[in-house]
Amino acid sequence: MANLAGAMAYDVWDGDDEFAAGRLVPLYILVNGQTSPRNTSLDLATQVVALPRDLNRLEPEYQDIVGRCGAWVSIAELSAFLHLPLAIIKIMVDVLLEQGYLGIGAPAQQQIQDLRLLETVLAGLERL
Amino acid sequence: MDRKSVKVVVAGGFGTGKTTLVGSVSEIPPLTTEEILTQASVGVDDVTGVEGKTNTTVALDFGRITISPDVVLYLFGTPGQDRFWFMWDEIAQGAVGAIVLVDTRRLGTSFPAVDYFERRGLPFVVAVNRFYGECLYSQEEIRGALELDPSVPLLWCDARDRDSSKQVLITLVRRAMSRLPVG
Ligand SMILES: Nc1nc2c(ncn2[C@@H]2O[C@H](COP(=O)(O)OP(=O)(O)O)[C@@H](O)[C@H]2O)c(=O)[nH]1
Ligand SMILES: [Mg+2]
Repeated sequence: MANLAGAMAYDVWDGDDEFAAGRLVPLYILVNGQTSPRNTSLDLATQVVALPRDLNRLEPEYQDIVGRCGAWVSIAELSAFLHLPLAIIKIMVDVLLEQGYLGIGAPAQQQIQDLRLLETVLAGLERL
Repeated sequence: MDRKSVKVVVAGGFGTGKTTLVGSVSEIPPLTTEEILTQASVGVDDVTGVEGKTNTTVALDFGRITISPDVVLYLFGTPGQDRFWFMWDEIAQGAVGAIVLVDTRRLGTSFPAVDYFERRGLPFVVAVNRFYGECLYSQEEIRGALELDPSVPLLWCDARDRDSSKQVLITLVRRAMSRLPVG
């Protein structure tokens, strides 16, 4: 019989322990000369889409983002495609939303209470 | 605009099959994104002094399933270490629920996840990944060890198998539906 107590032993962090003493938080980065952490409420699953706008005045890094938004795409996908950490993508997408280059989908709900949505998801999964 | 994202968290200890499960049901090969972490001292929004500190990154795998023209489901495999709470917080925020994967050889590695979702009140199911087909414990033993509420679904799966992973997802969505207030 296997040893259940042994199996319950925690797997502890086996990487370098430089951070063991403190809590880890996302790093706020300077973007576009802004030093303050923008308080973005963007969720990593929220989707955005390009709006018909002339991109000439945008910096190349921002053009790259809009260029990836021809069809609806999530913040997490943008981060993966462009190899930029989530914290940076969020700040940049926030700027693009503010300036009207991108449109935004529904935010992830605070509390999922939408039975209709869950029924849609269930039906979708059963069709897979 | 009416484009909706639905989130599902895939949690569990290191090597329990999170990335494998995400990959088996996702319509795209799992993608990886990363977050940069720094050590918080006092004020989180104090950016002075960030320079010179060593930063680290944490990787996050995810996949997607297009449910309908308006709805996309995203599956996020959380970093196993329970030190990354804040990432769990963000992923769990507004999520339908969580799948906690368990490897019976190292049951304890999934306990922090069970505890976290329990405390947070997020619907979750526990899926025992049947590595090599062996099963060391009975349902009762696993429930006991993980201190599972009797109402929490516990099922066996093969994370490499699409249908098996799909069943786990379906069980989770049904569980989430059962937890909705009636009416
Ligand atoms: N035999 C077997 N191997 C598996 C199964 N699920 C995952 N693996 C393997 O276990 C290892 C860890 O899986 P992974 O998905 O990377 O775990 P994660 O750390 O939770 O993301 C990989 O080498 C997988 O190929 C399974 O159901 N059976
Ligand atoms: Mg993984």
